[in-house]
Amino acid sequence: MVFQEPINSLNPAYRIKDQIAEAIHIRHLRESGKEKGLVSPLAPYDYSKRDLPKAAEVLTKPLVPSLAKRKMRLPLEEDKEKLLREVLEYLRLVRINDPETILGLYPHELSGGMRQRVMIAIALSGRPSLLIADEPTSALDITIQAQVLTLMKELMTEVNTSILFISHDLGVIAEMADAVGVMYAGHIVDLGPVDHVYQDPRHPYTKALMRSVPNRYKTDGPLPSLPGSVPNLVRLPTGCTFHPRCPIARPQCSKDPGPALLPAEGASSSQHLAACYFSRDVLGMP
Amino acid sequence: MTEALVETVDVEKLFPLTQSLADTLAGREKHVIHAVDGVSLQVQKGEAVGLIGESGSGKTTLGWLIARLHDSTGGKILFEGVDITKVKGRDLRPWRKEVQMVFQDPVSSLDPRMRAWQIVGEPIQAQGPITKAQLRARVAEILPHAGLPADTLDLYPHEFSGGGRQRLSLARALALDPKLIILDEPTSALDVAVQAQVLNRLVKLQRDFGLSYLLITHNVAAVRYVADRVAVMYLGRLAEVGPVREVLEHPLHPYTKALLAALPVPEVRRRAARYRVSGEVPTLINPPPGCRFAGRCPFVIDRCRVEEPLLRVIPNHPNHTVACHRAEEIGDLPPEELIGEIPRLPTS
Repeated sequence: MVFQEPINSLNPAYRIKDQIAEAIHIRHLRESGKEKGLVSPLAPYDYSKRDLPKAAEVLTKPLVPSLAKRKMRLPLEEDKEKLLREVLEYLRLVRINDPETILGLYPHELSGGMRQRVMIAIALSGRPSLLIADEPTSALDITIQAQVLTLMKELMTEVNTSILFISHDLGVIAEMADAVGVMYAGHIVDLGPVDHVYQDPRHPYTKALMRSVPNRYKTDGPLPSLPGSVPNLVRLPTGCTFHPRCPIARPQCSKDPGPALLPAEGASSSQHLAACYFSRDVLGMP
Repeated sequence: MTEALVETVDVEKLFPLTQSLADTLAGREKHVIHAVDGVSLQVQKGEAVGLIGESGSGKTTLGWLIARLHDSTGGKILFEGVDITKVKGRDLRPWRKEVQMVFQDPVSSLDPRMRAWQIVGEPIQAQGPITKAQLRARVAEILPHAGLPADTLDLYPHEFSGGGRQRLSLARALALDPKLIILDEPTSALDVAVQAQVLNRLVKLQRDFGLSYLLITHNVAAVRYVADRVAVMYLGRLAEVGPVREVLEHPLHPYTKALLAALPVPEVRRRAARYRVSGEVPTLINPPPGCRFAGRCPFVIDRCRVEEPLLRVIPNHPNHTVACHRAEEIGDLPPEELIGEIPRLPTS
């Protein structure tokens, strides 16, 4: 996983090398089946079967865990060098210049773009088949964002991983994604290949979203905007969650919770799904 | 040109870094952050000026200087022809009325323990005595202008949505009927649909009240929609200033070109390889002489590293100033041509 704010998700008290080495070390343990609960990469740890701590244990637990009690075995001296070589490999993979210097630095000594690269290195060092990136570039400047996005695209083919890219930036998604899902109030409402969803949105929310992107000058007239705001998830509206803001809502939308994803009517791709009975009407939406 | 509402003349803000005692005793040169370093910018009456740049370019500092939240360390800031950098204390109060600010983060810039009417009413109270009933009536008049229903008077900030909070901030800025509003990243905390509502509201207010805006943001789309003119800032200096359509469609400065080319556009067809500037934004601590962008610029020549380029008008682009030695040569290259290999320019 690559998180939103690299400064908050890296430990400020550890050097870069230790943070990447930790991830690699855990993978080594997992691969050799030494880590408790992780028998093999194919049988992931079942959190539901974990022993829940008892209140008494929690209260008597020392605040600072002592090293001896740690479940994770520390690497042997000769393994450390091997580990370090692997860390360097990952730093080179994410195109960090001069990785030998970066090794000994702390997160605060790196720039935002560098920190995000380190985060990507940590995420990749577990050799994942799926990388979940939660707004990985929202905290970065535009020119740095372009660099990180290009890197992620290149890495996808290089290390052969899929990416689930979570973002509110329509531009970034257009650039990165093959397929896109649009979420509203806890449901995916529109799903399909990225060019189909962008050019021919089949859910009224997607359509409204696409149109409210400011891509014009004020002399061209007002921006179309969607009235209202996202509903409170505690008190969802009845029926289709989008109907109070939907310009093409019909009376039944306020009662019927709306369909699960259906193939969009008349869409040019059969893989384009929308959670709306009236996906055909979206075309003529005011 | 008519007299500008606000004009900065070579305004400068240096932040000295703390120095260890040993360094002071040894008489070493002090490190200084050049946050804003000789910026001259005008905002006309009724005009919206967008100020774009990456973080650390000094755009927020410039906004704070114009609002006198920071004191400048050099240069002049003229408001309707009067230099406000010398005005002090009580004399500032009538001027404060004219310049209001909307801050970046609506959560931390609104007091969570004050109700909406108190938040919006506070600047009015600061200007002179007023009864509570009068104040509430006055605030109830202001709230609809910012797009809030008048019955939200007694709500606390946490009871508003993100967009609502930003509108509350806007209502506070409108309370004194100012001439200039400085908007610091007004939409960066909002999602796309709500952002469109706020931007529409800003444009409507500008038309209805003849307001001037200084819109500080890294969101090019917001600037495109709200601003009449745009200024691009890089490391404490202006790189380019001009009418919004001119600058965004025919950028002259290599940095502006890079910035616009790096912008992800929500159109699938545009996803081509893009012109990338290599390297990162350098620090503002004791910057080297010459052009600030020289270290990352693909068109750098020896002159750029020695001689500081000044903002100037180049032929065929009136009203549009750019700080680049080679603007004539590279100005007309479209950003698409900058993709991939850096084009070789004919050596003149």
